[in-house]
Amino acid sequence: MTREQRRNLLKGLAFCSPWLLGFLLFTALPIALSLYYSFCDYALTAPDRAPVWVGIANYRQLWGDELFWKALGTTFRYAAMALPAGVLVSLGLALMLNANIRGQTIYRAVIFLPSLVPATAAAMLWLWMFNGRFGLFNNLLERLGVGGLNWLSTDLALPSLALMSVWGVGNTVVIYLAGLQDVPRELLEAAEIDGADRFGRLVHVTLPMLSPVIFFNLVMAIIGTFSVLTVPYIMTRGGPNNATYFYTMYGYDTAFTYLRMGYASALAWVQLLIIMALTALAFWSARKWVHYV
Amino acid sequence: MIWVKRIIFALLILCGIAFVIYGAPRRDDKIPADFVVIRYWEKWTGNEGAQMQQIVDDFNRTVGREKKIFVRYMSMSNVDKKTLVAISAGVPPDIAGMWDQQVAQFAALGAIEPLDELATAHGITEQTYTPVYWNGCRYDGKLYALVSTPAAIALHYNRKVFSENAAALRAAGLDPDRPPRTLEEMDRYAEILTKRGPFGRIDRAGYLPLQSWYVPFTSYWFGQEIFDPKTQKFQLDAPQFIRAFEWIQSYSRKMGAKPIQDFISAHPQDNFDTPQNPFLTDTLIMQQQGPWQANYIDHLNPSMSRVLVPKDQEPTLPRRTDNYSWAVAPFPSAVPGLEDVSFCSFDALMIPTGTKHKNEAFEFIAYVNRQNVCEKLNMLHCKNTQLRSVSRNFIAKHPNPYIDVFQKLAASPNARGVPPVPIWPQVAKELNDAGQAVALENADPREVLTRAQARLQAEYDRFRAIDLKRREQQQQQHQLAQRK
Repeated sequence: MTREQRRNLLKGLAFCSPWLLGFLLFTALPIALSLYYSFCDYALTAPDRAPVWVGIANYRQLWGDELFWKALGTTFRYAAMALPAGVLVSLGLALMLNANIRGQTIYRAVIFLPSLVPATAAAMLWLWMFNGRFGLFNNLLERLGVGGLNWLSTDLALPSLALMSVWGVGNTVVIYLAGLQDVPRELLEAAEIDGADRFGRLVHVTLPMLSPVIFFNLVMAIIGTFSVLTVPYIMTRGGPNNATYFYTMYGYDTAFTYLRMGYASALAWVQLLIIMALTALAFWSARKWVHYV
Repeated sequence: MIWVKRIIFALLILCGIAFVIYGAPRRDDKIPADFVVIRYWEKWTGNEGAQMQQIVDDFNRTVGREKKIFVRYMSMSNVDKKTLVAISAGVPPDIAGMWDQQVAQFAALGAIEPLDELATAHGITEQTYTPVYWNGCRYDGKLYALVSTPAAIALHYNRKVFSENAAALRAAGLDPDRPPRTLEEMDRYAEILTKRGPFGRIDRAGYLPLQSWYVPFTSYWFGQEIFDPKTQKFQLDAPQFIRAFEWIQSYSRKMGAKPIQDFISAHPQDNFDTPQNPFLTDTLIMQQQGPWQANYIDHLNPSMSRVLVPKDQEPTLPRRTDNYSWAVAPFPSAVPGLEDVSFCSFDALMIPTGTKHKNEAFEFIAYVNRQNVCEKLNMLHCKNTQLRSVSRNFIAKHPNPYIDVFQKLAASPNARGVPPVPIWPQVAKELNDAGQAVALENADPREVLTRAQARLQAEYDRFRAIDLKRREQQQQQHQLAQRK
């Protein structure tokens, strides 16, 4: 490395240093420490109370922990509903918004708007809409002569939360819209000349060309749905009878309510491994359906 | 040109360094330099926060000025979690206002300071305190907290609806002019006062155990403790404990789990301080609540306390509750002869480990526990008092006309608090889950509670084993340090 190059490197590092230091101190170090704590009993209290090394006891306890399996199952069930619903609805909306129709910008704004609402406010709003007695949905159902549903009951709470998650797909729609702008017009025209109808053009041209964007959104959605916390925490607190007690919620309670940082760290590491495994699965499957031009 | 760039760059760096050094919060100029500033973190926001601020201001004007202490009050949400992080970081507040359930948990983890010596020096002893609150402030033989505001839980019942349904109640052999005296009697009142609407929904519930905040403590009304400190064992599989949960389930059997769930979903428990509180809308006729309920009735549905004189003159009336459409009584127990049973909770003032001003912090805690001060605060918050000695003025002028009932319940030998268990938050969750499982899922109470007992006992035994290991490690380190 020449003297000039070394100087440039130092300058570059100096300019990066605020982010670099922040990343090392507030992200990398806590991640490394949480791995260590996952093998300890640690209560995050007085500084003189050092973590007590317990080996793999936390991970072994996870295996027999009924609530761990319940929370994991709930999270998987939620993901099974929210993931496909989110992808399909956002893609469908993006395709509709991409059509050259009157008032297109208004529709785009209306669909994007909910994603600007803070999660807490959205949760409060939906809590009222789902209210069994005074809620909007049941009011409409009762006007139609149908008995209202208990949207947040043990059976329906999870689908209701998945339904609500679809409301905030505005960001994803914008990404799909940007992807749709990049679909080469000549390919669509060529398909049209070859006799492909609208559906044929969608299936054989638009979707394959959009597949990298779909893949990106899918990976982000996997991470998002497996770390869902704020909305159910406000709306249901995990109830009724743990029907909406998500994995992240269990981790949060374990760390900050039960003060078991070591066990919570073990939960977090298992969560990371699950998300990594699912992402790896998505990457593996991508070879078959994602087309990079 | 390159020099200009370098000078600008150097100036920016200097600005950054100056900001880091001098940008820290400044000491309030109004506080004299020789005063000790106490940082007091508290959970209350809104009205209750402002009322506690009055007490802080009173202290700063009087005792604080005399002893050169200034209390800076900070109101925040999630105070327990923030205090915990601050303790861990070594920069705790001097006083933390948390809940009774944190006393044993934080004490067992060494996160709060013992206060025995300071309390004795200030004349605050077992003799000055109501036993249930005094015991709740202690863990493992030491005092770790003092009360800021206490509460006792009682039955609130709607006299208006009782009287509107007088004929039906009388036909069932019940007296509409008095509250139920036994749990079995209360169930009968509840059945008659429940009204169904279209689609089988509950339009009005006489009583619903699952609507209560106090499901984990239900066994107290069945004469059963949750935890035995002598044997260090939970009692969740004791016959009376199971009976308590069978009673919770009996309501689902009678009224249907789905309609109950619909009712609770429409009237969430957390809405107690909103106009949706079903007790305030004649939708739930009997409710377990604390003395603060009177405050919410006055603010949200004053017609329930209709007296034809201005509110401030009301306490001068000899029979002011005659026109009230609600009243308070001890929540009836399931065991004959077991009277005045109540769950007594409290807000606790604690001194976190690592504080630099323990003595000064305790001056404020002791001030809050002076009879005149604690009565002022508890009248503002609409609660009973934690002290044995109660002034006539407190009873006569309290905004809750039934405050004597709450005082009696708190002083009763059958008053119970949160058990002295460091893992109480887990126990509470487990018992709430058990309540929901038996009421909503028709699970077998015996089975649910036996499983809960096994899980919690194992968790508690694990906690104690680790605690022992930690103490041994600390002892070894201490011995090593001494040898060096």
